[in-house]
Amino acid sequence: MRLAAWLALLDLRAERWLAACTILSLAAVLAPLLILAGLRAGVVEGLRDLLLQDPRTREITNAANRTYDAALLDRLRARADVAFLAPRTRTLAATLLLSAPDQPAIRVELIPTAPGDPLLNGAGIGPGQVILSAAAASRLHSPPGTVLQARLSRVQNGTRSSTEFPLTVAATAPASAIGRDAAFVPLTLAVQVEDYQDGGTAIDATPAPRQDYAGFRLYARRLEDVPALDAALRADGIEIVSRAGDVAGLLTVDRNLGLLFGLVAGLGGAGFLLSLGAGLWANVARKRVELAHLRFLGLSAAALRAVPVTQAVVLAGLGVIAAWAAAEGGAVVINRAFAGTLALTRPLCLLSPGLAAAAAAATLAGAALVALAAGSRAARVAPWEGISAP
Amino acid sequence: MLNSARALKTAADAHLPKVLSAAGLVRSQGSFSLFCDHLILRPGQCVAITGPSGSGKSTLLALLALALEPDSGTLMLAGTETIPLWRTPDSLAALRSRSLGFVPQNGALLPYLTVQQNIGLPLAILGAPDPARVNAIAEQLGIAAILGRRPGAISVGQRQRAAIARALIHRPALILADEPTAAVHPAQADEILALLTAAADNGAAVLIATHDAARAEAGGFTLAPAQPEPHSRTRFAFP
Repeated sequence: MRLAAWLALLDLRAERWLAACTILSLAAVLAPLLILAGLRAGVVEGLRDLLLQDPRTREITNAANRTYDAALLDRLRARADVAFLAPRTRTLAATLLLSAPDQPAIRVELIPTAPGDPLLNGAGIGPGQVILSAAAASRLHSPPGTVLQARLSRVQNGTRSSTEFPLTVAATAPASAIGRDAAFVPLTLAVQVEDYQDGGTAIDATPAPRQDYAGFRLYARRLEDVPALDAALRADGIEIVSRAGDVAGLLTVDRNLGLLFGLVAGLGGAGFLLSLGAGLWANVARKRVELAHLRFLGLSAAALRAVPVTQAVVLAGLGVIAAWAAAEGGAVVINRAFAGTLALTRPLCLLSPGLAAAAAAATLAGAALVALAAGSRAARVAPWEGISAP
Repeated sequence: MLNSARALKTAADAHLPKVLSAAGLVRSQGSFSLFCDHLILRPGQCVAITGPSGSGKSTLLALLALALEPDSGTLMLAGTETIPLWRTPDSLAALRSRSLGFVPQNGALLPYLTVQQNIGLPLAILGAPDPARVNAIAEQLGIAAILGRRPGAISVGQRQRAAIARALIHRPALILADEPTAAVHPAQADEILALLTAAADNGAAVLIATHDAARAEAGGFTLAPAQPEPHSRTRFAFP
């Protein structure tokens, strides 16, 4: 086998210009395919990631304050396609005045939260704690750990009264979570605030379990679930606000892009394997006499097959390397030209090691297979053909 | 060695083991049939199959070189009955590499190997490379200066010598040559025949195919002329 490899390499070296042509023609077909795969990994997957990363794409909220039975909300939360659900209190009764020491007070919107809230990357809070929106945290100059003073006023039977209590800033919500001045609070606190506005007891009393809520905020588990979930809720007579329309459009674009990429890559890939196979087959056919000559001199059938297989693997390997170099160059140009035009978190054309491994494996396996078939055919040639004068 | 002396040697060596023996070989191709009823070659013997082109010389050589399967008959090379080996081509190839040296017409060599690599190839295939022997035989055949060149870059005569060197390098029991003098200058032709008879002096049996019977006979070869028969048949008879 070492002899076969040695002969194969000497033969390639003697015909290095022909070999270079084979390598270049392999690279010429493979490089655009790699760019295409890189674009798919970069653009399509990047777009998908972007949509998935933004939980608000998966958000569904009630359209108007109604009365939603707690049992109904529990049923919704239990659905397989619902990742998270938090009830909401009445919008008008869901505000607080917050102030940091020696700072002017600002009015914030209260958003009930719970452990696992997608808007907060899963950060949870305990009683007496609050997570400020980025805007509110900035206006209050209150990093996590700050103890804020919360003030709540009501007018009852013409009498104005108010109560104050402390809240500790547990964290700041990501800027993408919400743009307004808002505070994420435990549902209990939101209910207490609503109760107080309705003339209830002091704020520190434990509220009675609620039978209904004014609204809810839920997140679909996957992007694909949004349109169906939207339709199901509407079918149940629940007025909602969602981005189902956008999501459906994006999913269609994603699917069609995937189809487009698949089609072009499939045709290109088939063409590549065909040209690879045809080239190598022709190569072996051209060397039939020389292979028969080696057979006559006493090379075993296995060693004889190893000659074209070695050559094919070397040619294909160098072809993949050349194609990869060309694709890397193309990717640099693409990524530079389109830099900043799409708000993607990854490069537009992404050539990953996995893609390199897949391209190399498919090419080498294909090349070896074709060469093995062609070599086996050559091994059956009568040895006499190798040394008889033409 | 003088021709008469070679003939004497041939007669005296009748007790030596047979290098090659064939009986009742038949090979038909299309309407053409070739018969070789009886052939025995012993060490030191030089035989030339002669006849015009198309008489089947090369086909007989191919049969004896284990490169073409006979339709029937028996063929023994270096003590091994070869006909059953056609079912296991690798053992046939191994026997060829051990016991056979072949000089192809026009000195066909592998174009991508240097003369040195071409000459050394039979030893490499046997797994016993011996660069010193390659150099020595090249020296002996007067091609030491062109060892680094490829066959495409040397003359026909040099190629023929390189092909002879390759056929001798592994000291095979049988050396076959297909028209070894056809493509070279007459003076070179005599030299080439002398190189082959020298190999016979070293103990090999030598069989060549040639259309130049007179030159072969003058070179010390026993002639085995093709005998055309009716209906596109050729019979080879050996002394």
